[in-house]
Order: sequence, then structure tokens, then C-alpha cells
Amino acid sequence: MKDALLGYALVLPSLLVFGVFVFYPFAKNFSLALHRTPPFPGLPKRYVGLDQVGDVLSSSEFHKSLRVTIEFVLLTVPTGIVLGLLLAVLAHRQLRGIGVYRTIFSSTVASSVAAASVIFFTLLNPQVGLLTYWLGRSGELGVLEDPDTALLAVAVTTIWQNLGLSFILMSAGLQGVPDDLYEAAAVDGANGVRRFWHVTLPMLSPTLFFAAVVGSIMAFQAFGQIDILTEGGPNNETNVLVYSIYKDVFRFGNDGVAAVKAIALFVIVFVLTVIQLRFAERRVSYAR
Amino acid sequence: MSSITLAGVTKRFDATVAVDDLSLTVQDHELLVLLGPSGCGKSTVLRMIAGLEAPTAGEIRIGDRVVNDVEPRDRDLAMVFQSYALYPHMTVRANIEFPLRSRKVPKEQRAEQVRAAAEMLGLTEYLDRKPAQLSGGQRQRVALARAVVRQPAAFLMDEPLSNLDAKLRAATRVELVELQRRLEATVVYVTHDQVEAMTMGHRVAILDRGVLQQLGSPQEVYDRPANLFVARFIGTPPMNTITGPAADALAGRAVPDNVIGIRPEHLDIVGEGSGALEATVDVVEHLGHEQHVVCRLADGQLVTVRQGSHQPAPAALAPVRLAARPEHLHRFDATTGERLG
Repeated sequence: MKDALLGYALVLPSLLVFGVFVFYPFAKNFSLALHRTPPFPGLPKRYVGLDQVGDVLSSSEFHKSLRVTIEFVLLTVPTGIVLGLLLAVLAHRQLRGIGVYRTIFSSTVASSVAAASVIFFTLLNPQVGLLTYWLGRSGELGVLEDPDTALLAVAVTTIWQNLGLSFILMSAGLQGVPDDLYEAAAVDGANGVRRFWHVTLPMLSPTLFFAAVVGSIMAFQAFGQIDILTEGGPNNETNVLVYSIYKDVFRFGNDGVAAVKAIALFVIVFVLTVIQLRFAERRVSYAR
Repeated sequence: MSSITLAGVTKRFDATVAVDDLSLTVQDHELLVLLGPSGCGKSTVLRMIAGLEAPTAGEIRIGDRVVNDVEPRDRDLAMVFQSYALYPHMTVRANIEFPLRSRKVPKEQRAEQVRAAAEMLGLTEYLDRKPAQLSGGQRQRVALARAVVRQPAAFLMDEPLSNLDAKLRAATRVELVELQRRLEATVVYVTHDQVEAMTMGHRVAILDRGVLQQLGSPQEVYDRPANLFVARFIGTPPMNTITGPAADALAGRAVPDNVIGIRPEHLDIVGEGSGALEATVDVVEHLGHEQHVVCRLADGQLVTVRQGSHQPAPAALAPVRLAARPEHLHRFDATTGERLG
């Protein structure tokens, strides 16, 4: 009994923090979604039941935001995994000095989203940016201001930023594959491609699955790079759901709408994760 | 089946010489054992034959073909690893089938070969299980099935029995010998266990620190060890090796700079008055079918005498006299360890 009390006492500070910053806001969010925020500050909120929910979910602004978010996730998550895996395979050899490359490939984990975003912001400067120059667009409409290319640019920044973590994850996964499996496959007649397909990938499947689930969740919540690079523009082409929510609260002071979007985001990520767990995990082999 | 020839094969890892100028031939249809303590280079030799390591110098031939630059998958060999190296995500059937699929064997033929291999190794009822659902002995048989399914030029086995418990090991030893005989297979078999070497090999190659010590049949290696290392390595309990005045006494003449070897079964405890060596009984180990009488000589050296358990065992601390017939004595050079007579 005393042990239990001590346990609860020790957990209490964490519980308080969770309570204030996670549980309460989560619950309060539902309340906010059901109240329409008045157009002028100072006036009281009006309870409207599910009307606001209906309005927001059917608005074209929400749909565009949703489309942009899904495009962003589809651009960044698979690419990030594939590139991380490619780099990990390259750096997995026993060559002299390979440690230097491993350090370089994993180095982006040390940079913050803000730092990476500022770097790319500078590189994409329409007048003097190096990337702008390489793309042959110096002096023309900046990549980040062009509705056709802005999301792609933000995606590239994100992929670059996440490459370090992806590389580390895949490298760790690769190291968990026993060498004698590759040797057995070689003696059994398998060439490099077959070894990759029949040994590396299956043994890596738990890592790939983890990267996909966690990567998707993180991609749906991307914020920093959008705030620094495009602020949701141009023409809302990079206005992902999270950023849209941010603007609703901090620019337009409209908590009600933001709350509805936040719940929508939660439901989407939740459903996606459940789908991944139910269908993708079946193809994962945890056997060692 | 093919023979395997190693000619002047050396393997260096930076400054360490793992295999030093090794030359030997594994005859066609022969089971050759590479025997030696940990770190003697035997596994390295096997891996070089398989193509998993490249020799620093020397030539490796399978049949008439020089295979130094041939990839492992093109050498037509099959290997059984100490850890079995089964593909954990595949069923037993898929594991056994893997070498055939890699070589684009057509489907019906594959199915038949897998069925035959599984039957040969008693795995038919386990074909749809995964390795994690099998016992150690069953996994070992899957590894064997995967090796025999293809009928390769030769089999390479890297301590395949060392992960099994003693009883299973003994039973599997017999099965392996039968399998080799039935397939008339050329096998290179690596082990540190001299009982396996003696009971399974047509010939035994003993290695120490990368150097071949002796190559011969199990009986040859037992009866006429080429040097002190082989003499001490083969035989349980190990050969007694004696130096100094005790050695002179046993040899019947002065043998300075010599080490006299005598196997425990060739030493007799004899009556008072006769017998070349004086000793005191230290410990008597009873094994049921025999006993080992460990005796301490006057100068402190220990020798072991092997007796049938029907003989009366001497009491501890009793003084005894030991004798041996001159034809059973082995003489080695004390400095080089080489056999002298």
C-alpha cells in the first residue's frame, strides 16, 4: 500500500504536467469546437452544437488544407525512408574512413528545424540564392513564392532535415541483420539484389514499419519549416492543417474553427495509424 | 562431387597471420576434418574455400577449377553454419527451397527436390513451420536439408554440432556419417571437438595458430602424433608428457632435451620392486567403465593412468610404481616439439 502511494507521489509531477498541457487541452478542445467564436473580441462565445463542425469540414479552405497536407506527407515520408535506407546501405560497408560518412549522413539530427529552414530560405532567395541560381530562376519568381513549386521546396527541406534520423534508424536496423544470413544467401546462390530483397528487406521490415508510422505522424504535424519558409502561402499552397490551425488561433483569433480542424487532424492521424497497424504490420516479420 | 585443393594458402588480417602456407587436398567423396583449438584458423580456411574470405596468397581449386576469383554463389558449394543461418522469416519449405530458386530451377522440379531433402532429414511434417517454432536439433536438420537439396560439388560444415546438447550431438554424429556415405559427398568439416574428428573423419587435418600440424587418418594421428601439440590434443585423457629424470627413467636411458610421451592406457601400475617410475596417487576418477588414476611423480609432474574398472583402484596418497612398454613411448624434441621416435 505504501509502495503504491509512493509510486503515485513520484508520478504526480508528470501527471500534473500532462494534465495541464495534454489532457485538459484535449478535452477542452471538444468544448471549443462546439462554440462559435464571435467576430469581435470581448463578445461571448455562442454554443452552436455541431453546426460549426459541419461548416468547417465542408469549407473549401479545409479541403485545400487537407489536400496540401496529404500531398506533403506523400512527398516526404516514402522519400525520406528510401533515401535513408539507401544512405544506410552505402555506409554499411567496412571501408576505411566510412565513419566520416556516417557522421555526415546523420548530422542533420543535430540541427533544429528552424536552422535548416533558414538555410534553405537563404538558398532559395529569388535574387541571390544558390539553389535559385542552379535552377536557372535568378531574378524570376522565387521557388517559395511560386504556387507550383512552394510545397515541393518545403518538402525537400523537410526530407533533408529528416535524413539524419532516417539514416540512423535504417543503420540501426541494418546492424540488426546477422552477417551469416548474408553469407548463407551468398553460398546459396543469391546475388546482391536477391540478398537485398530476401534478407535485408524482410529483416528490416520492423524498422521500415516503425519509420513509416512515426514518420507519417510527424509529417502530419510539420510546422516549423512552413512558418519560416512560406507562412502557409503562396495562395495557401503550403497551408497544411497544423499551420491552418495555428493561423486560425494566432492570426484570426478563431478558436472554434481551429478546434474543429484539430479534432479532424487527430482523427485522420489516428485512423491512418490504425490502418497501418492492421494491414502493414501483417507483412512485418519480427522473427530473428 | 569434386575434390578441393589448397595450395600454399595464406590469410593475413593486417598483422595477424590466420592461416600460414596451408597445402592440402580433400579427396573426392572424402570427409576431411579440420581440427584445432579456437583461433587456429580452421574456420578461416573453410570460409576461404566458400569464397567468403579471399586468401592473401595461394590457390584454391574445386575439382580442376581455380576458384580464387569466383564468387561464393558460383562455386557450387553448400555450407552449414554453426548458427545454422536459417532465414527466420521463411518457412522450413522456403528455406530449403531458397538455393533452388536462386538458381532458377523450375517449379515442379523444385517441389520434388525439396520433398526429397525434407524426407531424407525427417522434416516432412515441419515444412510449414518457421525456424522459431523448431527445436535446436530440428533447425540443424533444416540447415542440412538446405545444403543437400542441391547436390553441390562439396559440403562445408562449420562446427554444425556444437550448439546441440551432448546426447543429441552423439546421435547426430552418426546420422551425419550415414548421410555422407549415402550421398558419397565430399565434405570439409570444421570442429574443435576431437571426438567428432576421430569418429567422423576419413582423414583429420590438425591446425594450430594457422599452421598445419599433421594430416592423416584418425588412427595414424593417434598412434604417431607428429609433434607435441598433436600428441596432447588428440586423446582423452590427454597423452602424458614427461621431462627430466622421470623421462630418463621411463625411457631407460638419458634423454636430455627430450619430452617422453605415453598414453594413459599404456601406463601400468605394477608391483613393488619393478616399474621404472615412482609416484604417489593423487586422485582416482571413476567413470563407470574405467578409472583414471592421477599420480604425482617425485618431481611434481602429474601423470594419468587409465585402467579398466575391474582392476582394484589404489588408495589416495598410496605410493605406486608405473611401467610402460618401450614400443608405446613417444619421443619429442623439447624445443621444437617435433617427433623424434
